[in-house]
Amino acid sequence: MNQHIIYLLPIFFSLFGALLCILPFRYMDRTLSVIASVLTLSSAIYLLFQPSYINGYFYIDGLSKLLILTIAMVYISTVLYSLPYIKHLGNLLFQHRLYYFLLNVFVATMFFSVIMDNLGLIWVGIEATTVSSALLIATQNNQVTVESAWRYVIIVSTGLVISLIAITFIYGSAGTLSLHKLLLTHPDNRVFLIGILLGIVGFGTKAGIFPMHTWLPDVHGKAPAPVSAIFSGVLLPVALYAMARLIQIYPVGTVRLFTFILGTLTVITASLMMTVQTNYKRMFAYSSMENMGMILIGFSLGGYGLLGAVIIIVSHGLAKSGVFFLTGDVLSRYHTTEMRDVNSLMQRLPRAASSLFIGSMAVTGAPPFAIFVGELFIFSALIAQYGWLMALVIILFLAIAFIAVNFKTGKMIFSENEKIKREKPHLESWIAIVNLILSFLVILFIPYFELLLKNLL
Amino acid sequence: MNQVFEILGFLLIVLTLIMQWEINVQRIIFLFAASSFIIALFLVLLGLSRPQEEYMLFILAGLTIAVRGITIPVVMNKALHRLYEKPWRVREDKPMLGVGGSILLSLVLIAIGYFIYQNSLYSILKVRSGSVPFALFLQASLLIITHKHAYIQMIGFLVMENAVVMLSGWVFGGLPFIVEAGVILDLLGLVVVSSLIIRVRERTILQEGISSEAELRG
Repeated sequence: MNQHIIYLLPIFFSLFGALLCILPFRYMDRTLSVIASVLTLSSAIYLLFQPSYINGYFYIDGLSKLLILTIAMVYISTVLYSLPYIKHLGNLLFQHRLYYFLLNVFVATMFFSVIMDNLGLIWVGIEATTVSSALLIATQNNQVTVESAWRYVIIVSTGLVISLIAITFIYGSAGTLSLHKLLLTHPDNRVFLIGILLGIVGFGTKAGIFPMHTWLPDVHGKAPAPVSAIFSGVLLPVALYAMARLIQIYPVGTVRLFTFILGTLTVITASLMMTVQTNYKRMFAYSSMENMGMILIGFSLGGYGLLGAVIIIVSHGLAKSGVFFLTGDVLSRYHTTEMRDVNSLMQRLPRAASSLFIGSMAVTGAPPFAIFVGELFIFSALIAQYGWLMALVIILFLAIAFIAVNFKTGKMIFSENEKIKREKPHLESWIAIVNLILSFLVILFIPYFELLLKNLL
Repeated sequence: MNQVFEILGFLLIVLTLIMQWEINVQRIIFLFAASSFIIALFLVLLGLSRPQEEYMLFILAGLTIAVRGITIPVVMNKALHRLYEKPWRVREDKPMLGVGGSILLSLVLIAIGYFIYQNSLYSILKVRSGSVPFALFLQASLLIITHKHAYIQMIGFLVMENAVVMLSGWVFGGLPFIVEAGVILDLLGLVVVSSLIIRVRERTILQEGISSEAELRG
């Protein structure tokens, strides 16, 4: 088979699924989305064992391959979870087939963003994720979801204009936008530096990085559970991928320090915001922001910090999507996202409750989950570069986040109410459990991750 | 040629200033269409000054007219017609700034754009009047921040994109064609999706008023 085609299979399958979804046959959208996601995951796994592919159009190295795999895994679980979930949602803005169409296109645009060699086209891909995902937020048609979809469009697009200016600067100073050429030449001038810094701020908007993160809690808090899951699990890391590439092509002290400061401020802001949340979906949204901050810190440190960041990307993608699926379960029973109105979860839904507790431990970096291991890698690099004091400051805020999330989740789960009776669990909660198990199993593959990323470490 | 660019840049700033104090949404859409035609003219002139890239820049100018100058305003206008009985009367009810305040703030922003450019970027870029696209960018941001009507916010974003086209052409000689074409396609998709969202949003607000829950916290 032509080598080109193998690398394009994930995009091909998701786009193919999208196009056929709009055909007006009953259950066609669902069936085809499942088939497309299974084929996508199979091709993503196959790609993992193929050599890197860099040819002027595509730039697919270990980092791209791991992101493709993460997207594919979250994609299949989102499609499977959506099958029963969307069916039960009332007051939909559009037909089911449009939901699956948009979901598949959204995934295709994410694949596009992580395989292109051209920074300008990476920008086009990331902006296309905004176009394809905005309506998904408003799947359930009410004033709040529509308002958050609008906020998402306007804030994220404005932020991305900053990164477009950045790309103009980079092209103007280096004469190329090709990643592999930029990596070979490492241009070094002030215009290029300004371009890189602006790019980090611009793409940071999409990744929920401080101070342009304000859209994130609103969207994650109001979107349907499967949409929150895919946003948190893979959309944010795709934007971080662009930032990682910018750091990679200009790995000087100023860029690294700037990124490190942004990452640290993101962790601090998210941790503090988590303590005052009363809405469980918003709390988990801030938890995603905190994890993105840690990943950015890892990218800024490079070496084993970068390995740690990638471990968090894969593990967080699976665990957080699982957690958001479970919040969908909770929402469908309690009909509220306010934590004070959700109690005795363990009595009512023991399987979902115990999974949610394990999930919240996993996403806050409790041992032995892979996020904990990723954070250990990041701290080892952090201590080597910035010393113990800086590491302790970040550990303090991670501890605040850990206590806030687990205390609040624990309160929802373990509070007791004699009147509450056990209910039959939803079958789809198994999807969340599978994701949580996979998130844990990431630990076993760390040596392979290291091998895949060896040219970046 | 630089002087012609300066005149076009000045015209774009004036158009954005008028958008700033105009409250009629339909007129703001027309003003945006006019500014897109100026951008297309700018690209044509840029093409004439760069014979080696002239065809690409001419195609880009054609795309700009087709998408930014015609299709986007038509899509937005149609959306207005679907939503309101009298679309020509749709206006920003409570602009955050009065005419005087908006002119003053716009002028301050132009001065800030000029000051920042002259004191930081000019020594690196060495392009005379390169502050114009930056001033335009700041004006567009002001348009978004000071208006609550979603259509006007959308126009603010589109003016920002126009400022980037001008910046890339004027200061750096433009982006590769495939990237520019991708940006235009994205823009078109974004406007279509935004029009749908805005239509649903405005319809709900017209029917129910703004609920306190819809005031998102960020």
